Amino acid sequence: MSVNRWLQSGNYRRSYKEDQTIFATFSEEASLIVFVLLLFLVPFAPFMSRSLFRLFDLILIYTVAVMGLNIVTGYAGQISIGHAAFMGVGAYAAATITRDVATPLFGFESTVPFLFVLALLPVCGLIAALVGAFVGLPSFRLKHLYLAVATLAFQIIFTWSVGHTPWLNQGGSIRVPRLEFFGTTISGSKTIGPFYYFFTLVIVIIMAIGMRNLLRSKYGRALIAVRDNDRAADAMGINPGATKVMAFAISGFYAGVAGALLAFYNGSVIVESFTLAVSIDFLAMTIVGGLGTMVGSLIGPAFLLILDPWVEQLAEFIQQLMPATIDVGTALRPTVFGLIVVLFLIFEPRGLANWWRLTRQFAKRWPFKY
Amino acid sequence: MTFFFQLIVTGIAQGCIYALGALGFVLIYKASRVINFAHGELIAIGAFLTYAFTVWVGLPIWIGFVIALIIMFLLGQSIERVFLRPMIGEPIISVIMVTIALASLLSGLVYFTPFGTLTARFPSFLPTTPIRFAGIFLRWEHLLGIILTALFILILGWFFTRSTLGIAMRAVADDQLASLSVGVSIERVFALAWAAAATSATAAGFVVGSIFGLEFAGLVAIGLRVFPAVILGGLDSVVGAVVGGIMIGILEQLASGYLDGFVPGGGTGEVFPFVVLLIILLVKPYGLFGTKEIERV
Repeated sequence: MSVNRWLQSGNYRRSYKEDQTIFATFSEEASLIVFVLLLFLVPFAPFMSRSLFRLFDLILIYTVAVMGLNIVTGYAGQISIGHAAFMGVGAYAAATITRDVATPLFGFESTVPFLFVLALLPVCGLIAALVGAFVGLPSFRLKHLYLAVATLAFQIIFTWSVGHTPWLNQGGSIRVPRLEFFGTTISGSKTIGPFYYFFTLVIVIIMAIGMRNLLRSKYGRALIAVRDNDRAADAMGINPGATKVMAFAISGFYAGVAGALLAFYNGSVIVESFTLAVSIDFLAMTIVGGLGTMVGSLIGPAFLLILDPWVEQLAEFIQQLMPATIDVGTALRPTVFGLIVVLFLIFEPRGLANWWRLTRQFAKRWPFKY
Repeated sequence: MTFFFQLIVTGIAQGCIYALGALGFVLIYKASRVINFAHGELIAIGAFLTYAFTVWVGLPIWIGFVIALIIMFLLGQSIERVFLRPMIGEPIISVIMVTIALASLLSGLVYFTPFGTLTARFPSFLPTTPIRFAGIFLRWEHLLGIILTALFILILGWFFTRSTLGIAMRAVADDQLASLSVGVSIERVFALAWAAAATSATAAGFVVGSIFGLEFAGLVAIGLRVFPAVILGGLDSVVGAVVGGIMIGILEQLASGYLDGFVPGGGTGEVFPFVVLLIILLVKPYGLFGTKEIERV
């Protein structure tokens, strides 16, 4: 029986080999390609403003970090409340390597070449991965809740130690040199916005491909097995402790790359970008997007970050009705954030990814209901 | 040597605050296996309510404190009803996230009130000259903390061993399914656990507020410091909460007394408990008094 791979509506997979494929139909593949191409065209749209570029760039950078968090929390089931700290490790690695190693060694002046940054990203990722594995070490003996507390402790120790190390400017801003893209210096908001949009988009795509392929491999399936029942996974010959440590290392890698990107994007590193509150933001993005789903880690950051400017506008509106002594801006953000997460947890625990799944199924089966 | 004993005594007093905070934390965990990340906010709200009744309404501070306790009892129950009840049977991450979101929501709501930017003190109600004994000083507020902690331990001890509801609570902590089948209302037990936690949080907030003054971020931070205490004592042990709290208090004081000179900027007391926490997790994961989970497939 030959299957029409353009217009199939059900699951026609007949072997494990076919079950491991990423795309079930050609139409899925085609729509993804079209979507990615559209993403590449967005910067040329007439409505793109400076603030919009900043928003999109941040979304893309956070997407990389949230993908990592989704691997450890969504797929391996280990709650990490220290993800921002891993990101911070990557960012500080990028800043210090550039400042203390590369500048004296290669004699960079006010800018660093693009290829150097390209080589530096995986290095920062690896450093963060090592730290991640170290923090994950208790998972040989501990499970869920206790492990969550261990990551929380790491987050607090990280912010404290950065704040007390003169070498890291005690958490104050460390300048990171601007990029030089084959002769053009990337500085000033005119070039930074579009440049980092393309740069991070490519990295998001690479990381997403990596994540998707990890998840269909033996190791990815081991993660899910450990999440669903680690004793059963143990009985099947998967080492739960090692798998969890691996999950922490991989998530650290993603966070480290994201941190390094953020460092170069902002042109500086400051400890406020990597506090406990940011870690919690990441968890919220993962949950709103959908735990344990690939699409979720792409939608979640976008949803929460796009909401942010709207909340600000709403705050300005409410401020007019309230006495001036109360700062509605600082009040409304946590309130709205908390409400959104609670509402999602109670009414749609599978996150936005579930809505996406339903839409996709509708499109696939149209014009039939099922 | 006096310096050492001074640190120990201050540490015990400081630790009693953590113990008081940890008690509520452990109660919730014991009854419903929920780690409450909103505990710091509960502590802060309890302290602010006391302040509001004392300073704004003008009641004597003890009456204000009691009214705050009652309101927080109800608030704890309603939090359980609205936020935690729908989460029964959901995976742990959802439950933890609900308490994190709750923390965010509560702090947002506090920022809507004048308390968000308030820095104030309770009107002084205790003698200002510290107690002196063999060269060691102890502030009256610290003594108040020790007394309140002892009081709460006594009440809880009586409650868990003598009252029907307390025994029902222990039954639920032990085995939810079995206690359901003998007619224990799990909903009531959970609600009560949250109410009791909010009450003890108020007491902790009252003590912290009278020692360090009322400031939102500072009060919330106590909620985080409770973690090393409960992990050291064992997440599900009431005795452990007290012992852990006091030990963490002592360690914190010793660290800031002896290590601060070596660290630029000082403040080792803030981070040392968390270093201890990581070490405990690696060496003795279930704490000093916690139940070791035995697993069977």
